[in-house]
Amino acid sequence: MRRSTAAAVGTLTGAALIAGVRLSVSAPVVTAAPPAVDLANSGSSPAPSKKPAHNKEAAKRNGANGGGSAAADASGLKDGVYKGKATDYAYGTIQVSIKVDGGKITSADATYPATGLSASINPKAIAQLKEETLEKQSAKVNTVSGATLTSASYRTSLQAALDAAGA
Amino acid sequence: MGTVVSIELADDLPESSLAALVDDTCAWLYEVDRRFSTYSDDSEVCRFRRGELPLDACSPDLRHVLDACADLWRDTDGYFDAYATGPLDPSGYVKGWSVEVASARLAAGGSHRHYINAGGDIRMRGLNDDGRPWRVGIRHPWEADKLSWVLALTDGAVATSGTYERGEHVWNPRTGEPARGLRSVTVVGSDLALADAYATAALAMGEAGIAWLAKRVADGYESAVVTDDGRAFSSTGLPAAV
Repeated sequence: MRRSTAAAVGTLTGAALIAGVRLSVSAPVVTAAPPAVDLANSGSSPAPSKKPAHNKEAAKRNGANGGGSAAADASGLKDGVYKGKATDYAYGTIQVSIKVDGGKITSADATYPATGLSASINPKAIAQLKEETLEKQSAKVNTVSGATLTSASYRTSLQAALDAAGA
Repeated sequence: MGTVVSIELADDLPESSLAALVDDTCAWLYEVDRRFSTYSDDSEVCRFRRGELPLDACSPDLRHVLDACADLWRDTDGYFDAYATGPLDPSGYVKGWSVEVASARLAAGGSHRHYINAGGDIRMRGLNDDGRPWRVGIRHPWEADKLSWVLALTDGAVATSGTYERGEHVWNPRTGEPARGLRSVTVVGSDLALADAYATAALAMGEAGIAWLAKRVADGYESAVVTDDGRAFSSTGLPAAV
């Protein structure tokens, strides 16, 4: 097993380039952005899945499997409202629906059904990362991610110790 | 201000091949530094921003960087802005991108097991020298010799932005004040340039960045956040080591 390390010091700062104001941008048609109404209260059969499926393609496929009825357009999309399979995500069960009109996707929504038929929709709470306890660990690692080190602060960093240990 | 790049290759290759790969990587990073530095007047970036170099005469690399910065400005609601300080300064994208390219060059040169860590932002491939996924510690935001999370990854990127290393250096464009609320933001995903930009943008947003990051999970970017008051958040798909 070979191991080789090298350190190069350059002047790329990686400094944060943050400023300028811009409010939200018109989303492309495929964006499942704003919290939507639960269209039919029918999607709460959560099927755990590790695969991110709440995109339009998946919704389209699932919808097609569910059997649309209207005539297919040249695009191959049948008119109607298609709902993706409800899928468990980190922040709750999410279901995507798209509306096809004239063979084109005319709207796309993500619904966040909570439990029960009278689901109260609380996208604000869902759109959080899970809170946990900040821990202190000293586990063995190969490398360390952290806020950008300067050449000076590198010398006293964990990464420098790892580099020295492997050199 | 410079930073330090650490490279580790775990491939079973002759020493001379490994040395050549490391040399090539360093040469590429120095080349990027030369061409994209905002500190040297004759860099391509500086010539472009003085108007001496028209857009259509720019290298494909610079045009890619300009396009990517424009996309990120839009995708982060303006929180990632290469024109934040006035003249074009794409450094916030260039660092992650240059490491992303460096890792691809290593792969093309025969190294499929490596990591490149540029001052805390990491791109890795394959397995470590124990034949396991790379173990990546995320620095504890108050204690430099401790970790707050440990991740296990094969192919992917980990980028962290924080206020603890260089003080207040990220600005909230809505208030014109230094970003407040988040102490450390780590983003994990396939592309280091995007992960790095997302982490910086979320830091600038403050606590609202947590909800914004939650939406990036759908694009395959997981995250771990520590607030100024010591609360920790992570997305459930974060590839924690077991």
